[in-house]
Amino acid sequence: MILTKQNLMPLLRNLTGAERDVFVPTQVDGVSKFALMDKGTVPDFEQVNTTMPPKDLLFPQTQKMYHFDVDANGSYRIHEYDESREQLVFGIRPCDMRSIVCLDEVFLTKGFVDEFYANAREKLTCVCIGCASAAETCFCASMDVDPQLAPNADVMLQDCGDVYNVIAQTPKGEVEVAAWAPFVEEGVVEPVTCEQSLAVSMEGVVDKLEGMYDHPIWDNLSIKCLNCGTCTYLCPTCHCFDISQDMRRKDGVRFRCWDSCMFSEYTMMAGGHNPRPEKLERVRNRFMHKLNFFERRYGMSLCVGCGRCVEKCPVALDITRLIDDVAAIG
Amino acid sequence: MSGIEIAHGCAKGERPLIPQVCRVVEITQETPDVKSFRLQTLDGRKPFDCQPGQLGMFGLLAYGECMFVVSAQSDEWVQFTVKKVGLVTEQLHALSVGDEVSLRGPYGNWWPVEACKGKDMLFISGGIGLPPVRSFLLYCLEHREDFGRIDLVYSGSKYDDLVFKEQLFDIWPNEPDMHVHVSLYHEDPQWDGPVAYTAPFLETLELGPEDGNRVAVLCGGPSLSRTCREALVGVGFDEGHIITTLEMRMKCGVGKCGRCNMGGHFICLDGPIFTLEEIASMHSDV
Repeated sequence: MILTKQNLMPLLRNLTGAERDVFVPTQVDGVSKFALMDKGTVPDFEQVNTTMPPKDLLFPQTQKMYHFDVDANGSYRIHEYDESREQLVFGIRPCDMRSIVCLDEVFLTKGFVDEFYANAREKLTCVCIGCASAAETCFCASMDVDPQLAPNADVMLQDCGDVYNVIAQTPKGEVEVAAWAPFVEEGVVEPVTCEQSLAVSMEGVVDKLEGMYDHPIWDNLSIKCLNCGTCTYLCPTCHCFDISQDMRRKDGVRFRCWDSCMFSEYTMMAGGHNPRPEKLERVRNRFMHKLNFFERRYGMSLCVGCGRCVEKCPVALDITRLIDDVAAIG
Repeated sequence: MSGIEIAHGCAKGERPLIPQVCRVVEITQETPDVKSFRLQTLDGRKPFDCQPGQLGMFGLLAYGECMFVVSAQSDEWVQFTVKKVGLVTEQLHALSVGDEVSLRGPYGNWWPVEACKGKDMLFISGGIGLPPVRSFLLYCLEHREDFGRIDLVYSGSKYDDLVFKEQLFDIWPNEPDMHVHVSLYHEDPQWDGPVAYTAPFLETLELGPEDGNRVAVLCGGPSLSRTCREALVGVGFDEGHIITTLEMRMKCGVGKCGRCNMGGHFICLDGPIFTLEEIASMHSDV
């Protein structure tokens, strides 16, 4: 089945309805991100990657978990929020779909299910648009992602130039595509091959890193890091969070919000001990987590090659150079 | 000689992030800045079933929550022993019996009580490191016939800092084949016992590995842990027979919020209990 690019906007306008929220890549106050589609929204399906990753659809930057109140006797009651709404994300890219594979592992496995994530995940439908071209910081193909494929997307739209191949990949996707009948037609077209100028070789890198915890490479890498945390906020797979609360008078709310392993307070303990007190330990932990720890724990890389950190790091601390450097070590 | 086998990633649970409101039913002032709190559900039951060594997230809805090892339990309550060191623990110390608190858990793995059956037990800790170790020690005393000789080596900076004094000086020394060794780091007018840091004190006791028949259980701050490890290895312990319980800052308790990782392992979920042999094979910042 194919969808012509002329039919994209008519289809999209038809998808927005009262029963669910539709998110598209667009500019909000000058920042490129996935935002709720309404009448005035101008989606941007040409830009390869949004600046902000779509992870907040599943893992909001700040999320109220529950609220509570206390009566005059000091008796507390915990109240839960009503369940979230159905969401459709249209135009998510294959690298970001891979990041959801990683997040699913973190939040849904190993004995405990994170109910907030699970609820949002169940209600999210993903329409992925494949990439016909790459930004200069894109290197997903080196991280085992095919820029025109995302097996975990509900619907895959492969970019074939003037048209998209429409592939329903899950039961949810089949229901979705069935409703697109007025906008699609029969046919299959050859997808455009996405050329990426940035490439790394991960061959042997995971195993080499295993023995490099005390290697001087981490000194060289961390010395220029500002610990600003930009990489962690823009990373589609970074999922660390803090839990805190706010209470006024008799009502309070407990929430979680994104946190960053780049900050010294992140691991600071009440007694004053900090197991990762310096930049070196924090930078090493972050890159090891991306390229080795996660691989050992979940069998996949935690870097999906989206290139956001490469593009936005203010001191050009570049994960692809680290991979190259590790690969080059004999 | 193979090390003591410890289960990891064995904790399971429903709705791990939602606490239950519980009630403080008993408070014990252990030292000037350490209190123990016994908690029950509002209808008077034990809040959760747990194994010795497991963790609970105990706190106040209005102020926050912190992770503690369950320091003791019965069929009716769980107990946490809390040192006043920060914002939340200061508020916990202001609690009275009857006050309501929040609690979630249990989290993490537990002491290898089965694998240690038949062994001599050597418990080593300093200061506020005793409550986590005590959860194992109490189990051994409740199942006394399953374990051999029990030694407890415990130190504190000054006399006032020793927790569980009644058990230390009046109860445990009278348990069959249990030997309690206490030292202080500094001279103290209330103290006429040994004055020594834990590791050199431990060395004077000449408690060896007994050909793998003795298991050391260690919990203390970074320097105590390091020096006692060296002392134990020095008298022939292999690191597979030295067990410890680790601590790091924690928020979720279920291996998702990220911060308590040691390499690819999370202390809250895979730990907190490991052998030193296991820790040596990890990329640990702890």
